[in-house]
Amino acid sequence: MTSDSVLPDLVTSVTSPASETVNSDIQVRFKTEEGRLLLILPTEAQTFTSVTNWNDLWQQMKQRLNGGDRFWQPQTPVHLIAADRLLDGRQLQAVADALSEVQLQLKCIHTSRRQTAVAAATAGYSVEQQPSFPALNPTPTPQPIAEPLYLQMTVRSGIEIRHSGTVVILGDINPGGIVVSNGDILVWGRLRGIAHAGAGGNSKSFIMALQMEPTQLRIADFVARAPQVLPEQYYPEIAYVTPEGIRITKVAEFSKSQFLSKP
Amino acid sequence: MSRIIVTTSGKGGVGKTTVTANIGMALARLGRKVVLVDADFGLRNLDLLLGLENRVVYTAVEVFSGECRLEQALVRDKRESGLVLLPAAQNRTKEAVNPDQMKQLVADLTKVYDYVVIDCPAGIEMGFKNAVAAAEEALIVTTPEIAAVRDADRVVGLLEAQGVKRIHLILNRLRPAMVQVNDMMSVQDVQELLAIPLIGVVPEDERVIVSTNRGEPLVLAETPSMAGIAFDNIARRLEGETVEFMDLEAAQNGLFSRIRNWLFG
Ligand SMILES: Nc1ncnc2c1ncn2[C@@H]1O[C@H](COP(=O)(O)OP(=O)(O)OP(=O)(O)O)[C@@H](O)[C@H]1O
Ligand SMILES: [Mg+2]
Repeated sequence: MTSDSVLPDLVTSVTSPASETVNSDIQVRFKTEEGRLLLILPTEAQTFTSVTNWNDLWQQMKQRLNGGDRFWQPQTPVHLIAADRLLDGRQLQAVADALSEVQLQLKCIHTSRRQTAVAAATAGYSVEQQPSFPALNPTPTPQPIAEPLYLQMTVRSGIEIRHSGTVVILGDINPGGIVVSNGDILVWGRLRGIAHAGAGGNSKSFIMALQMEPTQLRIADFVARAPQVLPEQYYPEIAYVTPEGIRITKVAEFSKSQFLSKP
Repeated sequence: MSRIIVTTSGKGGVGKTTVTANIGMALARLGRKVVLVDADFGLRNLDLLLGLENRVVYTAVEVFSGECRLEQALVRDKRESGLVLLPAAQNRTKEAVNPDQMKQLVADLTKVYDYVVIDCPAGIEMGFKNAVAAAEEALIVTTPEIAAVRDADRVVGLLEAQGVKRIHLILNRLRPAMVQVNDMMSVQDVQELLAIPLIGVVPEDERVIVSTNRGEPLVLAETPSMAGIAFDNIARRLEGETVEFMDLEAAQNGLFSRIRNWLFG
């Protein structure tokens, strides 16, 4: 490879039919706040189309827990932000068990549902019953981008990670795995699945991977399919949008030409 | 402590039942008490592979409904007394069972058996959920084909989410000659993608089909076969033994050179 671009002519770009905005609130989230960890469940209203059942929520929660377990201090108290979600005693117990597997402690349940509050109190957790959560229920006005999500995991077939900030994956994204972000996507591993950066419409977003063999790349409204011929050797590469569409370049050369030339 | 292992794959027809029958038999021959649970409700065939079909009286479903006791449903193997089978019902659907029932059943079995090996149906629906509910370990069976590996990857993700920590890979039906000419994914290709430890590679072997039809697991055969040795090795590795992986390519070349010698002198 001599030019700054790896097989650029084999990367086709088209404009995707519709831009999709990532509302990270449709997935389970963890957030550190004042020495405690918030485990935020999507509200029932937010998930009416995507994640409706407890099983899916449960799987997402386990994936996030397994992907981030190196970063939490043991015995950090966890506040479960259940909002309008109905949870019974058994489900609360399941959450507590999963948290304790990574040495986290379920302390408090925030809920707007009476039944959930009763179940939580019966199980011995402290309860904060509130009608709504203004701070956690984002309004549709433009918002600052969320903090980055750092996950150490293999994004396997069938797993979909959605986050409204930048996503860093320490591991591979396998074929059939999907990562969608409003910011950048950095893959410290092989990218063989689908990555969609700048999903909210920001075409200045990047996708970087140590080994770029994606099924498909998307940045904002642009789509690129993987080249048919795979290179002999891989370099860390970056995908970004140019007036001609998505372009892939070795990171080393991109940094020189782009980052350094900026005022 | 008993080991509770599910044999699963996502994709159908890749060899789960063959693996379960052979590894179960091999473990029993190593002196272990083994119960094989057929969790493929509606499409049972573990009894066929073991040659025990004509001994099945009750199945797990009658145990769940209280029509018989657990011990009554267990079918003892005619060759290895350490091996028993809990058959699945053929006439009921997968919805006849739920994960809690499976957990209870397996818990009862662990009181007696060293190994509970559960043969999972294809797919990731209810039958899968039932089969994996009680499992503490998993053997992921895949063939070196993109679709099979993709499904295996999906299943590994689901098992990881469920908290199954010990997950091992069995690559079945490998054809070294095809790998050599780049017509088939190699062991390394598959392992690189799935990123789970390998516990066995089983070559494509006609004798698997013969043994299936006879209801005689291959590990029992008097003349050793490549696949039979591979199954035996997997059982030993489960037992914690360090067993070198067979050099399938060398074995293959050896076979060719023997044929050549015979043909040409
Ligand atoms: N190593 C092998 N060499 C040759 N044939 C094999 C091998 N392993 C399995 N087979 C054949 O493949 C077929 C499917 O095997 P098996 O029934 O064990 O798969 P399965 O994964 O249990 O299928 P299902 O998903 O339907 O339950 C059988 O005919 C079996 O004999
Ligand atoms: Mg089967």
